[in-house]
Amino acid sequence: MLPFQPLSRRQALKSAGAGFGYVALAGMLGQQARAAAAAPKPLAPKAPHFTPRAKRLIFVHMNGAMSQHDTFEYKAALQKNDGKPGPGGGTLTASKFKFRQYGETGSWFSELLPNLATHADRLCWLRGLHTDTPAHPQAVVQLHTGSANAALSRPSMGAWLLYGLGTDNQDLPGYVTVNPPPNFGGAVNYGSAFLPAHFQGTRITDAGYLPNLKASAAAGLQRKQIDLIQAMNRDLAAGPAAPDAVDGVIESYELAFKMQGKVPELLDVSKEPKAVLDLYGVSDGPGGAFARQCLMARRLSEAGVRFVEICQPGWDHHNNLHKGLIDRCRSIDQSVAALLTDLDRRGLLAETLVMFGSEFGRLPTSQGQDGRDHNITGYPMFLAGAGVKKGFTHGATDEYGIKAVEGRMHTNDLHATLHALMGLDHEKLTYNYAGRDFRLTDVKGHPATEIFS
Amino acid sequence: MRATFRLPAAAAALLIPLAGASGADDPAKIEFFEKKVRPVLVGHCSACHSADTKPAGGLRVDDRNGLLTGGNTGPAVVPGQPDKSLLLKRVTVAEGKKRMPLEGEHLSAEQVADLTAWVKDGAAWPEVRVPSALGKPNPEYDRLRKEHWAWQPLTAPAVPAVRDAAWPRDAIDRFLLAKLEAKGLKPVGDADKASLLRRVTFDLTGLPPTPAQLDFFLADGSPTAFEAVVDRLLASPQFGERWGRHWLDVARYGESTGPSRNIPYPHAWKYRDYVIDSVNADKPFDRFLREQVAGDLLPAATDAERDANKTATGFLALGVKDVNQRFKVRFEMDNVDEQIDAVTRSALALTVSCARCHDHKFDPVPQADYYSLAGIFTSTDNCAGVRNQMGGAGLAYYVPAMLVKVGKEEEAPDAAARAKVETLREAAEEAQAAFEKVRGTPEGLALGPNGRPKQQAFRQRWNKAQAELNAVTDPAARGQAVHGARDAKVVADTAVRVRGEAEKLGPVVPRGFLSVLNVPGAAPVNPQQSGRLELAGWLTSPNNPLTPRVAVNRVWQHLFGQGIVSTVDNFGVSGDTPSHPELLDHLAGRFVNDGWSTKRLVRALVLTRAYQLGSEATAAHKAVDPANKLVWRHAPRRLAAEEVRDATLLAAGTLDPARPAGSPAKSLPMIELRDNGPEAKGIYEAADASTRRSVYLPLLRGVVPRSLEAFDPVEQTLVTGQRDSTTVPGQALYLLNSGFVRTQALALADKLLADPTAGDTARIETAYRLTLGRSPTAAEAERAAAFVGEYEAAYRDQPVAAEEKPTAAATKPEGPKGPAAPIVDPDQADQSNEAVVEKVVKAKDARQAAWLAFTQALFGSAEFRYLK
Repeated sequence: MLPFQPLSRRQALKSAGAGFGYVALAGMLGQQARAAAAAPKPLAPKAPHFTPRAKRLIFVHMNGAMSQHDTFEYKAALQKNDGKPGPGGGTLTASKFKFRQYGETGSWFSELLPNLATHADRLCWLRGLHTDTPAHPQAVVQLHTGSANAALSRPSMGAWLLYGLGTDNQDLPGYVTVNPPPNFGGAVNYGSAFLPAHFQGTRITDAGYLPNLKASAAAGLQRKQIDLIQAMNRDLAAGPAAPDAVDGVIESYELAFKMQGKVPELLDVSKEPKAVLDLYGVSDGPGGAFARQCLMARRLSEAGVRFVEICQPGWDHHNNLHKGLIDRCRSIDQSVAALLTDLDRRGLLAETLVMFGSEFGRLPTSQGQDGRDHNITGYPMFLAGAGVKKGFTHGATDEYGIKAVEGRMHTNDLHATLHALMGLDHEKLTYNYAGRDFRLTDVKGHPATEIFS
Repeated sequence: MRATFRLPAAAAALLIPLAGASGADDPAKIEFFEKKVRPVLVGHCSACHSADTKPAGGLRVDDRNGLLTGGNTGPAVVPGQPDKSLLLKRVTVAEGKKRMPLEGEHLSAEQVADLTAWVKDGAAWPEVRVPSALGKPNPEYDRLRKEHWAWQPLTAPAVPAVRDAAWPRDAIDRFLLAKLEAKGLKPVGDADKASLLRRVTFDLTGLPPTPAQLDFFLADGSPTAFEAVVDRLLASPQFGERWGRHWLDVARYGESTGPSRNIPYPHAWKYRDYVIDSVNADKPFDRFLREQVAGDLLPAATDAERDANKTATGFLALGVKDVNQRFKVRFEMDNVDEQIDAVTRSALALTVSCARCHDHKFDPVPQADYYSLAGIFTSTDNCAGVRNQMGGAGLAYYVPAMLVKVGKEEEAPDAAARAKVETLREAAEEAQAAFEKVRGTPEGLALGPNGRPKQQAFRQRWNKAQAELNAVTDPAARGQAVHGARDAKVVADTAVRVRGEAEKLGPVVPRGFLSVLNVPGAAPVNPQQSGRLELAGWLTSPNNPLTPRVAVNRVWQHLFGQGIVSTVDNFGVSGDTPSHPELLDHLAGRFVNDGWSTKRLVRALVLTRAYQLGSEATAAHKAVDPANKLVWRHAPRRLAAEEVRDATLLAAGTLDPARPAGSPAKSLPMIELRDNGPEAKGIYEAADASTRRSVYLPLLRGVVPRSLEAFDPVEQTLVTGQRDSTTVPGQALYLLNSGFVRTQALALADKLLADPTAGDTARIETAYRLTLGRSPTAAEAERAAAFVGEYEAAYRDQPVAAEEKPTAAATKPEGPKGPAAPIVDPDQADQSNEAVVEKVVKAKDARQAAWLAFTQALFGSAEFRYLK
């Protein structure tokens, strides 16, 4: 379902295409009668708890756990002790890829990420992350919902953001996830769990597919049909026994009709100028899928979507690390760099926060002949854009990059930080379910205010 | 420590402290552990065997219980018995692959000696710090137990006097009217007959009345006309399909484990059918609950009854399970928690799960009570047919022995059949041994020609051999299994888990029930059994006031739109208070005295004057009671997702009312179901193609049928007593463009057009009666006729569009049809999206197009989805 929320009554009456009042979302309390007392409009923009540093969030999700030791976590001690036993077992294995420093900050990147490296001075690194479970299903679910207990579904972070902030563009979903993983929790990762369903993420594919969006008849004919439906609805609305939500039904048709035109247009990246397509490296077919996702992320974010997540899987290199990383990095390096460049050129990076990373990291020791195993005790992610320091590093792991030793941030801390950047107090954004106040950060979490610009 | 707990079975009971047993109270032993033992475990073992890493072989060394429980091959440490402790064997064994640590240097003789001394000396470990509040009396809890309304004994309130004595039909009406009169309000007028018939038919069966039923009722002037309708509906099999679905919502029914690896429950539909049959048979609700909590422990007169009782325990087994959980103890305790939540919220509207980690913040549920209940479930096998395992593909999560067998025992197989089984068993064991031998070795991890480690081919061979063995030995393969519960081999009390962490054992608490309620005469737990039988008895005792209050409140909500207690799943301190407490007790008492008959309760409620009120709202009423808490009218209700779909099918004449045999999930192997795999695609397509009632659609978690998705289907992972009712553009898009709605609208259009002699006026009349349960007004009929004419003309004028291609959904190229290639490592599974092709429904000519547009508009109207 598409969790859209309509305009406020005033906005709706002002806007040309929609003249039928507002959608009364009765589901907020699950009860018509209560809704009647105070028709809630849960996706309308809401006042944050304090001045937000970022208005929108884009999460570039490297599903499967990208090896930081071969990409952007350089450890001199690891290079020096290549082949020696690691603390706690295993054989330390330095990356086969060459590292060098970039920018004024001298940040290290391997040769796998030459384009991303040009943004070195823009990035805000979180290098002391840690999480609870070294298995993808739980860790992916925890990264998205705050809880590693996959047996108890909790709302996803995007759902919490919509619940807390609403969204600016009422003609679009507030929370879009592109090509989410089909396993590892699946829909839980963008679901609303016990929050009302209109807060859940809208799943689309990199081809811009959304169910039921394609009009079943030519616009003129369908308009005729909608006019008949609306005439029937207005009759019902005029009666003494009108359901409270009938105004909402009327508005939902007008929005749906508009969306059929607008949304495909927005998701169709082919109309972008060639220079932009080339910047991202968009091409037809599966090879260009991630570049398309990056470009869609920019377009959706620019159009006011509060939270966009895009995803590139395939980083779980227990084996085939060498060739696998070359392939995966090639698939994302240019496009992610282009996303940052493009957002910056358009001035969007000032309001948009970009987060890049995986559910956990990998070990500096080897696994088999050409692989690395999972590491949840210390791994990096980066943020860029609105609200965070540029060319900044928060936290660090030990000399080999195994365990976070400084600026340690649990997933709950990461979520608290994201909330804070978006203007939300993670302890105040709660929802009462089953007799208890739930929040994204459970009973933990501290925002890392050191990184705020 | 020794602490006194308030426990239900006895006023005070002793907890068995564990600290002494772990040697935590001996500083010398602890110092030895910290200096000599912990560094060895951390330095040489924990890289592969701890909560922070993979617990290879299921073993963790960063926790005493982890060592005591051990991994897949048994306890790693037996305190006091070094010769029985696998840990010591594995660090000294001569054989290469088994010698731990696998990588790095062997332990020195001194290190081995230290470990041995430590085990011999009792394997001391620092004490788990038990919160000081644990088990302490809590005066606030005592006050709440005495004062909170929900937990007090049932009262028998006097039926109040009312000024307008002519209005009420039943005592229920008098309770309602008295409150209205006190506020100076009068109920609105009675509903018209057509609206009333539509209301009661949907409420009792989830379907609209047929035009024939409407005509019959409108023509029936007898004073018992409505009663006759109600009795007809109660007796129809559709009643169970609607009211069984209500219970399935509460029972968080689903046909798969859900996250993190979604494993199908292929026999879940038997529980679904059991629920529907029980409702249709009007099985007393207390009996219904007892069967679901302890059916396997109840006496049964016949084989069929025994099987039904076992099937009922699917209630406990069909919850969400995280099969990828690495630690067995966490898997078990998560499942225990899931069952405690399902039982206590469904039957008692109590949020007992809040007390898993600490005493309940609001309600008097101490953590010790939680673990009294937990002991009952740790003494129970949750026989869903799955086990936990980290990683693992194919049938790795499936354990046939962890299903409940039903049906007759097979006749003894002949010699040839036995020999075949033996051959297959040997082959499977050999294949497993071959895999285990190569697993994790340099040879096994070396890449084969396909770029994958060579050991994966061994795994595949094992999977195949195992599947062949299962096919002839597995009762499930012959349909003789259900997901359910049975008493475990070991029945025992369990320990409080400090902060809810499964491994952090606090004191043991005796099995028992909740101290929040005083249930005189309830039998204590039978020490020889799990205690579920006594739990079931405690839940359904005539002296338990909460179970009937919760049950009647759920029924009330389904008929009146909101509960007397609006928070139907939470009767605790943080829930709502009853709008009519006396009425609630009146109903609860009546329910119990009436033999816990749901049908009689439903009958009494719909025959009240209050149920039959009109839906008109007046400004005066709204000013005093905007939420209609006092029931001055019958508030309109939006149809549930299932009702929208079923009513569409019925109106289109395409509904097949028969119950299907099983479910499309029935033939799924218990192998991970990915959103983008061919199995999920098959489930979606089976749901799309189905014309059965919605309750029979496949309901695998995370694979919501597209024809239900738009209208707030139940969240299948959670106990849900109350559906959402949102209004969003996705619903309009679904009604305008979905293949399902277009297909049904076309069927209805064709039905209308089939009779060439009927005029358009008659067609419009029929369409209204089929979809909205009433005749159109003259103005409506005129508007509809004009629409059809104009649409037809406009359609003719349309330039003929080139045949459009169906929407491509993803960049994934169409793969080969047929079953998916076996997945060796589920983490490496294909992540790309399955191509979805939307069904495009096109009319063959302008006339059909116009009538299709009209019938679809009726389905799309707000009136279609709202009941007056």
